[in-house]
Amino acid sequence: MADSTHEQWLLQIDAELDGELSLVERAALAKHLATCAHCAGARASQLEVRVALARSAGNPHAFVVPRPTIRAGTLALWVMIALGIGGIAGWAAHQHWGGPGGGSTLEESRGTIVVH
Amino acid sequence: MALSSFTSICAALSLLQGPGTRLTYRIRVIEPASIAPRILASGAVSGPLDSDMRLTLRTDTTEIEALFQVTPVGDTVTLAGDFFTRRQVGRSRRGLPLWEEDSYRRLVRLAWSDTARIYPFGLGQRTTRGPSKALWVELTLEREFAGGEARPAESFDLSDSTRDVRLEAVVRPRRARVILNLVRGDTVSAPRPMDLVPEEPPRVVQLVLKGRATTLVVSLTRPDQARSIRDRALALDADVVCLRVAPPDGSEAIGLICGRLNNVARQLPLPSGDTLAATFAWPGWR
Repeated sequence: MADSTHEQWLLQIDAELDGELSLVERAALAKHLATCAHCAGARASQLEVRVALARSAGNPHAFVVPRPTIRAGTLALWVMIALGIGGIAGWAAHQHWGGPGGGSTLEESRGTIVVH
Repeated sequence: MALSSFTSICAALSLLQGPGTRLTYRIRVIEPASIAPRILASGAVSGPLDSDMRLTLRTDTTEIEALFQVTPVGDTVTLAGDFFTRRQVGRSRRGLPLWEEDSYRRLVRLAWSDTARIYPFGLGQRTTRGPSKALWVELTLEREFAGGEARPAESFDLSDSTRDVRLEAVVRPRRARVILNLVRGDTVSAPRPMDLVPEEPPRVVQLVLKGRATTLVVSLTRPDQARSIRDRALALDADVVCLRVAPPDGSEAIGLICGRLNNVARQLPLPSGDTLAATFAWPGWR
């Protein structure tokens, strides 16, 4: 059911790019595109195909619709945050449970003879 | 003059019979409990003054082996403990247990009547309510005059059979009974028993097989020092002796046969084509 609705929206996108939709239908499609990333991506793909076709047909005014991209600075920031959280969690775990050999020092774990 | 010589010979012979003092290690393995400490095991090891005691304690994650030796110094005694421990510290990525090994030595001086308390798992971290919960071993050293009794003796009572605690006397043989046989095919010569003392001058022995006499020069030696740290620390080769076999002309030795005093025959091929079988055993009662 969801797939058939999705296919209908794809047909609506096709019709919208052909200029065949009424104002009410375009408003409904715009409302859907605001919430459906998949359909928005499909619309962008169709636009790119049409621009490529227009360019190959000799239309110099055709231009590419910019897609949302992840910027390198943002990516680096998230990687740094993830590494920081991992490092802090590892340090906390080592402080709590310790590494191999138990928490006590070697001398504490060794046998002792006490004279009474 | 004759009487004086006889007295001195008797004194020398009595010294050769071994020390007149017998040493006893008396132990109790005690586990702390909420009401009163519980005795898990008790026992005693006794023998000549140079007897050692080997104590083994095993749990699921820890193995402790210790060899205790005493050195009398006047009215006091120095107790030395060579410890060899293995502790499980985790598992490998393939699920196999990982162990860490540690060996160390502890030395204390105490009077004969004193009790030494041994904490084999360490004193550990003391809790706010008192000392740590690790078990301990109480060791008391006693000496008494023995009327020629030189054999080591062990007695051990394990109250809790779920615990793995062992106690052994470790005695280095002062002499060994060696039985020699000459083997050719399916024929064996008459056994030739000998009482040998380690590091004693070599002895000439003649074995006759099918009318042919074979003369050999044999001497008993101690084995080389064990290569493994554990074997060295725990004196696991204490009852191993080696028989050096040489031809009578004093040339290079034919070979060395080493083994425990456990009545197992060990063989050495001779240049003549025969095989020499040597069996080591503890000497008989004196």
